[in-house]
Amino acid sequence: MKKKRLASLLTAAAMVGSLAACGGGDSSSTATSPAGDGGATTAAETVAAAEGQTVMKWSIWDKDLTLYYQPLIEEFEKQNPDLKIEMVDLGSSDYQTVLGTQLTGSGSDFDIVTIKDVPGYTTLVNKGVLEPLDEFIANDGVDLGAYKGLTDQILVDGKLYELPFRSDFWVVYYNKDVFDAAGAAYPTNDMTFDEYDALARQLTVDTPGQEVYGAHYHTWRSAVQLFGILDGKNTILDGSYDFLKPYYEMVLAEQEDGVCQDYATLKTSNLHYSGAFSQGNVAMMNMGTWFLSTLAEKIKSGEYTDCANWGIVKYPHAQGVEPGSTLATITALSIPANAPHKEDAWKFVKFVCGEEGAEILASTGNIPALMTDDIAGMISAMEGFPEDEDSKEALQTANLYLEMPVSNKSSEIEIVLNEAHDNIMTGNSTIDEGIADMNEKVGAVLAQ
Amino acid sequence: MKIKNTKTRTLRVILYVVLIALALVMLVPFVWMLSASFKLDKDVFIFPIEWIPKNPRWQNYVDIWSRIPLLTFVLNTVKLTLIVTFLQLLTSSFAAYAFAKLDFKGKDLLFLAYIATIAVPWQVYMVPQFMMMRSMGLADTHLAIIFLQAFSAFGVFMMKQFYEGIPTELCEAARIDGMTEYQIWYRIMLPLSKPSLSTLTIFTFVNTWNDFLGPLIYLTTESKKTLQLGLRMFISQFGSEYGLIMAASVLSLIPVLIVFLSLQKYFVEGVAASGVKG
Amino acid sequence: MGKTKTMDPAAVQKKLQVLEPRLEELLRQAEAETDPKKKLNLGRQADRTRDKIRQAKTGERFSRQTKRDMVAYSFIAPNFIGFAVFTLGPVIFAFVLAFLRWDGNNAMEFAGLGNFALMFGNKRFLAALRNTVVYCIATVPFTLAAALALAVLLNQKIRGRNFFRTVSFFPYVASLVAVAAVWNMLFSPAKSGPINMLLYNLGVAAKSLPKWSADKDWVMFTVVLFSVWKNMGYYMVIYLAGLQGINGELYEACGLDGANTWQRFWYITLPQLRPTTFFVTIILTINCFKVYDIVYMLAGGNTGVLNESAIVLVYHIYEEAFRNWNLGYASACAMVLFLMVLAITLVQFRGEKKYAN
Repeated sequence: MKKKRLASLLTAAAMVGSLAACGGGDSSSTATSPAGDGGATTAAETVAAAEGQTVMKWSIWDKDLTLYYQPLIEEFEKQNPDLKIEMVDLGSSDYQTVLGTQLTGSGSDFDIVTIKDVPGYTTLVNKGVLEPLDEFIANDGVDLGAYKGLTDQILVDGKLYELPFRSDFWVVYYNKDVFDAAGAAYPTNDMTFDEYDALARQLTVDTPGQEVYGAHYHTWRSAVQLFGILDGKNTILDGSYDFLKPYYEMVLAEQEDGVCQDYATLKTSNLHYSGAFSQGNVAMMNMGTWFLSTLAEKIKSGEYTDCANWGIVKYPHAQGVEPGSTLATITALSIPANAPHKEDAWKFVKFVCGEEGAEILASTGNIPALMTDDIAGMISAMEGFPEDEDSKEALQTANLYLEMPVSNKSSEIEIVLNEAHDNIMTGNSTIDEGIADMNEKVGAVLAQ
Repeated sequence: MKIKNTKTRTLRVILYVVLIALALVMLVPFVWMLSASFKLDKDVFIFPIEWIPKNPRWQNYVDIWSRIPLLTFVLNTVKLTLIVTFLQLLTSSFAAYAFAKLDFKGKDLLFLAYIATIAVPWQVYMVPQFMMMRSMGLADTHLAIIFLQAFSAFGVFMMKQFYEGIPTELCEAARIDGMTEYQIWYRIMLPLSKPSLSTLTIFTFVNTWNDFLGPLIYLTTESKKTLQLGLRMFISQFGSEYGLIMAASVLSLIPVLIVFLSLQKYFVEGVAASGVKG
Repeated sequence: MGKTKTMDPAAVQKKLQVLEPRLEELLRQAEAETDPKKKLNLGRQADRTRDKIRQAKTGERFSRQTKRDMVAYSFIAPNFIGFAVFTLGPVIFAFVLAFLRWDGNNAMEFAGLGNFALMFGNKRFLAALRNTVVYCIATVPFTLAAALALAVLLNQKIRGRNFFRTVSFFPYVASLVAVAAVWNMLFSPAKSGPINMLLYNLGVAAKSLPKWSADKDWVMFTVVLFSVWKNMGYYMVIYLAGLQGINGELYEACGLDGANTWQRFWYITLPQLRPTTFFVTIILTINCFKVYDIVYMLAGGNTGVLNESAIVLVYHIYEEAFRNWNLGYASACAMVLFLMVLAITLVQFRGEKKYAN
């Protein structure tokens, strides 16, 4: 009896042991990663590092869909033979969650991290996991003036923790075929909001089954709400939002009259803006420049057939404001405070965000943060970019306002603004109620 | 007699009508998935729904294999799912026997600890858990996922409930016959709990197969990623390739259905009852 | 592994002097006790004492009870060790966190009850609490009833049983993206949406057609309906397994008495399914309190932000933990959720014990 019992106990113990053994195969690869970082996060995959080479990990998303990662790395490694860059794809949809978790505590071994948006940036800065770059910048004499004031908008307590390499801004895409069919003149680079609204209404056809929408607004709050900040008089962090009223009135009236698709339907159907624009029944759509390369590519591949004739113009502007003011979204690089190779990481950051990196980005049809006339020329020379002069000129911007400016309350305020936008657009609250709600809740967040 | 017959027949007809209606409602999402898997991304969410695509795009089923290393992901997922399911079944049914049929010190307290953790959302202890795993050198290993999934409180709780339905007299009789508790578990409880073991297998299989958050946080190396992470690779920052997502989702459903179909034969009446008689 | 230790007769005598009178006392008390529960308890104590006397006499190292405990622990250990290290540990840590302020990186600060105070001043938390409770109250009974009905139905000998069973399990296993997309299309807020079209034809004015998951008054209703439909197959499987445990002879005995279908269900099936129902109710309640992804998929839209009309507790926890990195606050919210679930579970446990006796 006793023996038997013991035997079963041993079996149980062996089972637990075999578990550890079966895991041994997996964890053996971890042992090869740089020592001294308490177990290492990501086992070095197959970047064959030659003797004396330093391997640096770079967190990214959409590895296979983003065309500039590989050329950037190749060029950098050519210039720095002793350095190797290893990409770690954390996925697009939950990037900030995963990155935040990975950088938590002291076990992380990332050298360079990509920062997706401003709320993500400020939370990481607040967490204290990013290294300030000011010293590096001062030592190397990097001219921040080339970023046209963008870097001033991302200072946290006077310090800069990221350097932008990509800066997308919003323009108006339009379908020339729709305009031609209606016999209307194309939009221009100098439209007031009233002119834009009138044009959208002019192009609208509401015959059931053959609807044409003069305008299309994606469900993001930026697509409607941020018309309000383009005159430069107000910011989205003010805590007082009455200035948004005329713009919501314009869009809600358009929605009521069938000029644009119903927000609630768009929201629940998950229709993507590219899906909407490619149907060929949307005349104008405001969207970011990230859509440029996708649109050109999908038309080339034959997937989009109903919007092959397109152009872009600058954002509409308020009466008496210089045209070319628009919203910007930046993508930037940072160095984690725990990065094993900070000096080398900085070399990479400087390279990607500098002129050479900018040219590589532009050659793939993406807008670099470092924008010069030459680089703008490279983008408009991209295959599939509209040939007309207006579209080329639309790439020149006057003032860039971040979709979400930096504040240590960015992510909390973002939630409030999203919610109010949704309530107004679905008709769950009136414009006045929605604005009152924003005023109250953002006020409360700011007062904390 | 005749009246009764007509009545039963009418009832039967009603029963089948209800069942078929129900089946249709249940099948709609699958039909939609199937139909979307043959479409271009731009057409997936167009309303009204085009159930049978005009130009079915078989290419989607080819592209999913070349666009991402799908085969690697499938193999990883199969490996994880099999190991987790096996461990889960073994350890939970083992532990559940003690909770259901043995009397010991601290039983209620231990059991409460199990139940209590079910009630805590993972999002809360995910960060401390991750930091602990990393300090053990388990970050970015499959072992982390196995440890995460294999010792769930759910399995123990469920098996305990089913064991309680098995008459205690059976165990008592076996004890008198001189069987050890381990023999009772192996010779009596296991054979009698086929329906519940099947249930647990199905659930564990489905959960591990479809698990997304765990692998998302723990697995960063591409060669170690799982199917669900692969599916998300078609969702990018500026657009999602729903045609491909749905094609891959349809394929990923097949193993789950095979498991379900092959195990549901144990859901037949009288398994336990016949055991009692024997 | 010596079975016995060397016996010191004097020590044995001393032990017996204490134990034997205690046993007698216990037996006498048990004899006099009228409350059956207390009587049982005293009986057990007497058994234990008897065991100790035997142990003292024979000099065995472990008492029988200890041995029995050891066997039981050996059964639990393989699961419990893994469970304790990888789940219980972090969970306990999370509980401690509820009283701290921590962003996951900087030093922790003691917050006392600060997180809880913050919580009850937070509109989003209060909305989440309200929505979650409403969701649970509505979802649990419907899912339970639907799952049971489905299981009983699909346990009959009918043609195509396997097919129907598999199909019922479908919404649970199919990709949530697909399931939510289909649902939102059926319940499209547009006038041309299938359900709205139906309502319109039934005479509902176009202006007052609900916008379903985009409507603050209808969103929870839509979510509840969706959740019952999606999950009933899952609980049906548990019930199916439970139904197999019922002894067929019970029905036969009942059949002889001329009981009808309903009576058989009411007097045999339902009571026999009690352990299953107990399990399903607890798991279902817990899962309902932890609802998150289906609400997010149905009502989140492209921004993935839930409004106060649809926010649920776990979403709020997620948002605070990973958007704002207030881990202490998130833990405090989880604590509230935990306490609610615990209270409900304990009530159910008590009910179960009472019924069992």
